[in-house]
Amino acid sequence: MTGRDYLGEFEHIIVLALLRLEDRAYGVTVRQEIEFRTKREVSIGAVYATLDRLEKKGYVKSRHGDPTPERGGRSKRFFRVTAKGVAAVNRTQQALQNMTEGLDLIGSYS
Amino acid sequence: MMPQPHFVQPPRIATWLVDLFTLPEEESILGDIVEEFSQLALRSGVPFARRWYWRQTVKTIAHLFGTGFRVAPWSTAAAVVGGFLLLRFASGLPDKVLSVITDRYLAFWSTHFQAYMWVLKGMVIGHLMASLFVGCMVALVAKGKEMVATMTLALVLCTLIGAALVWVATHLPIDVAWMLWSCADPLAIVVGGAIVRTRRSAATTQPSGA
Repeated sequence: MTGRDYLGEFEHIIVLALLRLEDRAYGVTVRQEIEFRTKREVSIGAVYATLDRLEKKGYVKSRHGDPTPERGGRSKRFFRVTAKGVAAVNRTQQALQNMTEGLDLIGSYS
Repeated sequence: MMPQPHFVQPPRIATWLVDLFTLPEEESILGDIVEEFSQLALRSGVPFARRWYWRQTVKTIAHLFGTGFRVAPWSTAAAVVGGFLLLRFASGLPDKVLSVITDRYLAFWSTHFQAYMWVLKGMVIGHLMASLFVGCMVALVAKGKEMVATMTLALVLCTLIGAALVWVATHLPIDVAWMLWSCADPLAIVVGGAIVRTRRSAATTQPSGA
């Protein structure tokens, strides 16, 4: 296992959003899910830049839906996490858990 | 009877700007912004939605610009360097043409000074046309990365011009009109990129039978 197998902070957040949204995951829902849960404003460009990077690494897959009128006749791009992506998020979670284990973050450092 | 929600047009210029930076296969990016704009317009009002749309446009373009460069750094850099060298050559042409004309008809210009001033203005326009031409050429070479390449070249030029302006400002009295005019060349390069990108988009979205 190398350091490359871990997800970056925003990659981690995006993969978790995709897992939460399941088959409803496309640009708008992913962006809104992240904003709702992290309370930070995210641009659609940042979401797509990260999703494209994750797709290149083989952690997510995408498919195009049908064009819809409320989108000006443009199609949706749906994303789903691959088995490799699930393994990467588990590894990252485990690493974070190992690093925080035994630390009293609230009591000692607040 | 419930009023029917009507479709609110998102800001056209912002839509056009995002369109310039996205390939036809990346239409979902613009589709997502338009969809969320419609939702926001109904929920929070059109002015709020328009502000949000512009904010998203600026941030999204910044990301697309960065991603575009990261995806193909060498080909983009090659197009920019080629464009820079072409600009060095092309921007000197109007001056050479002018010097040939003035040398040849020296007696005429000395008696028709007003006409000579018009030729000088023509030279300025010639400079702009040369920059526009270079912008188009860079965009033609950097297929799919037209705006990334032309904007990078424009930013390189702006940096050089900025450094030159700082030097001039510290040594000579500042001529504001000349300072503003210096920014016209980089702008013409970006306009050249936008023209090529728009034409390519139109060509790919037109039905093949048309």
